[in-house]
Amino acid sequence: MIRNTCGLILADDKRIHMGDLTRPRALSAVPFGGRYRIIDFALSNMVNSGILTIAVSTFNKYKSLMDHLGTGSAWDLDRKSQGLYILPPYISSESYTGRGDDLSGIISFFREIKQEYIIVSSASCILNTTYDELMAYHRDKNADISVMYNRDGYKAEAPVTILDMTRSGRVKGVYENPLNPVSNRNSLGVMLMRRELFVEILGEAMSRGTTEVNPEFYVKEFDRYAIYGYEYKGCALRINSTQAYFDATLRALSEPTRTDVFWQKQPVFTKVKDEAPAIYSEDCEVRDSMISDGCYIQGSVKHSMLFRNVSVGNKAKLTNCIIFQDTQIADGCELENVIIDKKCVIRPGIKLIGQAAYPVVIGKGAIV
Amino acid sequence: MKKELIAMILAGGQGSRLGALTDTMAKPAVPYGSRYRIIDFPLSNCVNSGIDTVGVLTQYQPLALNTYVGNGHPWDLDRNNGGAFILPPYQHSKGSDWYKNTANAIYQNIPFIDNFDPDYVLILSGDHIYKMNYAKLLEYHIAKGADATIAVYEVTKEEARRFGIMTSDENGRIVKFEEKPAKPESTQASMGIYMFNWPLLKKELAEDEADAASSHDFGKNVIPKLLAEGRQVFSYPFQGYWKDVGTIESLWESNMDIIDRPRDIDLQDDSWRIYSRNPVKPAHYIAPGAKVRGSALTDGCVIYGSVHHSILSHSVVVEAGAVVEDSVLMPGVVVRRGACLKKVIVGMETIIGENDQIGGEENKEHPYYNKKICSESITLINGGLILKPDISVPGNCMVSMAQTVAESDQIIERCENIPAV
Repeated sequence: MIRNTCGLILADDKRIHMGDLTRPRALSAVPFGGRYRIIDFALSNMVNSGILTIAVSTFNKYKSLMDHLGTGSAWDLDRKSQGLYILPPYISSESYTGRGDDLSGIISFFREIKQEYIIVSSASCILNTTYDELMAYHRDKNADISVMYNRDGYKAEAPVTILDMTRSGRVKGVYENPLNPVSNRNSLGVMLMRRELFVEILGEAMSRGTTEVNPEFYVKEFDRYAIYGYEYKGCALRINSTQAYFDATLRALSEPTRTDVFWQKQPVFTKVKDEAPAIYSEDCEVRDSMISDGCYIQGSVKHSMLFRNVSVGNKAKLTNCIIFQDTQIADGCELENVIIDKKCVIRPGIKLIGQAAYPVVIGKGAIV
Repeated sequence: MKKELIAMILAGGQGSRLGALTDTMAKPAVPYGSRYRIIDFPLSNCVNSGIDTVGVLTQYQPLALNTYVGNGHPWDLDRNNGGAFILPPYQHSKGSDWYKNTANAIYQNIPFIDNFDPDYVLILSGDHIYKMNYAKLLEYHIAKGADATIAVYEVTKEEARRFGIMTSDENGRIVKFEEKPAKPESTQASMGIYMFNWPLLKKELAEDEADAASSHDFGKNVIPKLLAEGRQVFSYPFQGYWKDVGTIESLWESNMDIIDRPRDIDLQDDSWRIYSRNPVKPAHYIAPGAKVRGSALTDGCVIYGSVHHSILSHSVVVEAGAVVEDSVLMPGVVVRRGACLKKVIVGMETIIGENDQIGGEENKEHPYYNKKICSESITLINGGLILKPDISVPGNCMVSMAQTVAESDQIIERCENIPAV
C-alpha cells in the first residue's frame, strides 16, 4: 500500500482515434474484456495501491464515462472524505475559448488537496498492477518524476513515446512517434511525482497556452528535473488504434496474457450489472472464448470475446469476434474478425468477414 | 419516519433438510442458480415492489448471511431513510431470548417495526424461489378490506399433503386452514407470505406471546387464531414460478429449471431483475478443448473439460478431461483432471480430486449413503472439502465435514473453512 498519494486519470487522449468505437465515448470508456471499460484498469490499479482520492479528467464525450463511474461505489470510492472526482473542462469565462480553461479545473483541484504525491495515469494502457514498486523506485532514485515504461517500443504502432535513458535510468531524451527509435523503451503513460511539482509544471504550461495534459508532457521537462524511467515487467496492452484494440482483446483470451490482465491477486473492479447467468443451449459450440453474464448462446463461438447480454442465434458462427453488450446476432449469421458495438442487431443469415489485420467494425446501435 | 409498508424476512431457520449444505450457513444464504443466493429473491422482490425498508431476521449461523446482505447495497437497500436491517436476537435488560419461532421473532422486533409506524407489515420467508409483485398483493389486501392476506399457490392433491392448505370461499376469504392435511379439502397451499395490518398483528403477537400453550408460529398459531376470531383473512392466488427449495431434491430441481424451463423463472426479465452481490471476477473462459452444453455459467469460471446440463456458480474450475453432468457446482468448486460428476450438488470451495467418480448408481452399503437428506440419486458433497484422488462415491450419498475426518477416511483428504461470502 502506498500512502499520502492521490491519482489523476486522463480519460481521453486526443492523439488516439478508434473510429466508430470512440465516436460515442471517450477512449477510456471503450468496453474491454467482456465486462470492463478501459478505465477500470487504471482505476483499479490506483484503488488496489491504496489511493483514495482519484480525479478523472475528460474534455468531451463524458456521458458514457460518467454513466459508468457513477458515484464510484464499484471501486469503493463513494466516500465522505476523499473518493472519486470527475473533472470535466472547467469553463471559467463566459466566452469559452478552449484555451487553458480545460486545465484550470484540474489545477485548482490539485492545489487544494493535501496528499504529498500524485500518480498521473493515461487510460490507454491496460495493465493490472499496484504502484508500490514504482514508489519504492522513486524514493530510491530520489527522483523528481518517475515514469513507467516497458520494452515493446519497436513493435508498437503510433502514437508512442520513446524514452532515451542513461545507464542509471535517468531520462535524457523523449521522442514522439520517432521514425528511427533510439531505444525500445516505450512510456506507459503512468508517472509519479510530488503533487506540488505537478501543480507547478502544469501552472507554467498553462501560462504558455497549453490546453491539454498528457503524461508525456511531463517527461519533456527532462532538462530541468530528475526524471527516471521505471521498467514495468508485467504484461501491458496498449490501446492506441482499432487494430491494437482488436489484437489486445484476442491476445487477452490466451495465457499468459489472460492471467496477467484479469487474474492477478488484486481484482479489477467494474460497475456491476446484475445480469442473469450465461445460458448455453444444447446445440451450442463454444471454444477458446470469454463469455459474460446474460449471454444466450445457441450457435458456434470460437476465439471470441462476448460482453454482457449478447445473444447468438441458432447455427450462427462467430470466429475472432468482439461483441459488445446487448447485441443480438440472429440465426445463421457468419461473422469473422468483426467488432460489433453495443445494442446492434445482426439480422438472420448476414455474413460479415473482416481480416485479422483489418477487422470490420459495426458502430453502436446499428441494424445490419 | 412513517412508512406505509415494511417487509420482514424470516431468515433465521436452519433448513436442516438441506443436510450438510446448511452446516455453516443459514438456508437463505445457500447459493442458487449460478449467481444468486436464495435470499436474493425476496430481497429483489421487495425492491422491485417499491418496498424500501426490509428487516432480515437472522439467528442460525448468521455469519454468511450478515456478510452477504451487508448494508443492502446490491439491492439498492442502502438508504438514508429505511433500507436493509439485519435483526439478530438480542439481550434485554431482563435476560435474553433466542427467537423461539416465527411469530416470536417478529414479536421481539415490535420496537423496530414501530420505528417506521407502518400501516402494513409483510412477512416473508427467506427460502423460496419466485418473483412476486408485493405491491399488487397490498392492493388486493386493501381492496378486500382484509385484516390479513396470505399468498397461496395451486399445488396438486398429492403435493397438498406437504403444505399448509387454505380453503377459501368464492370471495377469496379463507374459511379453513390445515397444516399438512392427510385429506386436503383444497389445493391452495400457503406460500408463507403474509400481509398484515400492523396494529392488529401487534396485538395478536402480544396475545400469542402471553399464551403459554402456543408454539409462537404463524402457520400453527397466529393464522388459526385469526380465523377462530372471525377476522377477515383472504387468500391471494399467485400464478407464476414458485419453488420451495427446502430439500436437496427441490434445490437440485429448481436449479435445473433455469436451463430446463428458462421462460418460467425468466431470470433475463429486465422489468424484474434479481439482484445479487456480484463477485469481482472476470468473464468466464471456455478453453479450446472444452465442451459446454445446456448449462448456465457465470463470471470467473474456467472450463477445460466437459460440462453438460449443469449450473455453475462463480469461479468454478473444470480441468481437462473432467466431466460434469446434471450437477450444481457452488462458488469456487474445482473439479480436477479426469474426475466425473453425475447428478451431484457440490458446496462452496470444495475440490474434487483427480479421476474421482462421484454420483451415478446407488449403493446402499456405501458408508456415505444417506436416504434421509438425499433422494433421486442426488449426491451432496459439502463445501470446504478436499477429496482424495481416484475415489468413487455412488449416487444418493452425502459427504460432509460434520463427520470428523479419520486417518482411515477413504474419501476426504481434509476440510477447510468456507469463506463467508
